[in-house]
Amino acid sequence: MLSSDLASGGTAARVLSLLCLTCLMGARAAEPPNRVTIEAMTYQPQSLTVHKGERVVWVNKDPFPHTVSAPNGLESKEIAPNGTWVYLARKAGDFNYHCTLHPTMTGQLTVR
Amino acid sequence: MKRLTLLLSLAAWSAWAAPAAGPTDPQIAAIVVTANQVDIDAGKLAKSKSKSKQVQDFAQLMITDHTGVNKAASDLITKLKVTPEPNDISESLQKGGDDNLANLKTLSGAAFDKAYVDHEVAYHEAVVSAMDKTLIPSAQNAELKALLVKVHPAFEAHLAHAKDLQATLAK
Repeated sequence: MLSSDLASGGTAARVLSLLCLTCLMGARAAEPPNRVTIEAMTYQPQSLTVHKGERVVWVNKDPFPHTVSAPNGLESKEIAPNGTWVYLARKAGDFNYHCTLHPTMTGQLTVR
Repeated sequence: MKRLTLLLSLAAWSAWAAPAAGPTDPQIAAIVVTANQVDIDAGKLAKSKSKSKQVQDFAQLMITDHTGVNKAASDLITKLKVTPEPNDISESLQKGGDDNLANLKTLSGAAFDKAYVDHEVAYHEAVVSAMDKTLIPSAQNAELKALLVKVHPAFEAHLAHAKDLQATLAK
């Protein structure tokens, strides 16, 4: 009986832990994404720092396409006017990105 | 002669009078739509005629960006219920664009690329100057003014890009 209770308790604790983990993951997934607005040929903010596991969304408010491109891992392809691109930051590092269509446009994403 | 007409047209546009005597919003609408369309037309010709990938890529960028600006302008014109009003400047721009196309159609190879890119430099210099000195200061409607301010950096970037291309072709 005792061992059965202990076993049940262990299972309950594991279930509870899983639930908590799920809650935490859910909470992170439900967080509003970090937003970068692309407008008037600039990324705003020009520099952004996020944590691993967070999402970043770029929103193109210009009337023509842009890209978010960095040689070490970012590639949005063309983001249409009023379009968005969401990136899940899985890898830590500094990403110095630019628009391949308009190379004068640059931005920086740091993932910690 | 065609090139002289074109340059006179661009000069007339960029040297338009001070804001006090500047264009009305319906006139600005006509100028914006015409200016973009002229460059779209030149871009389409360059894309089909040039053998240079750099020139073709630049031409495609002009087609895409100016089409986007024209769509935004057209959407705003519709929303504001403004009827674009053709005027001396928009007509001069159209004539300059027509003359440019006629001239480009007589050329091929490196001569075509040079003429197209030289015109793009002159055109974007004139556009940026006109936006700074006339169009933005004269625009009365806040949304129209905001659109002009928003797309101004794109015209500056196009000018820088055209100058880079001009320097590359000269090598």
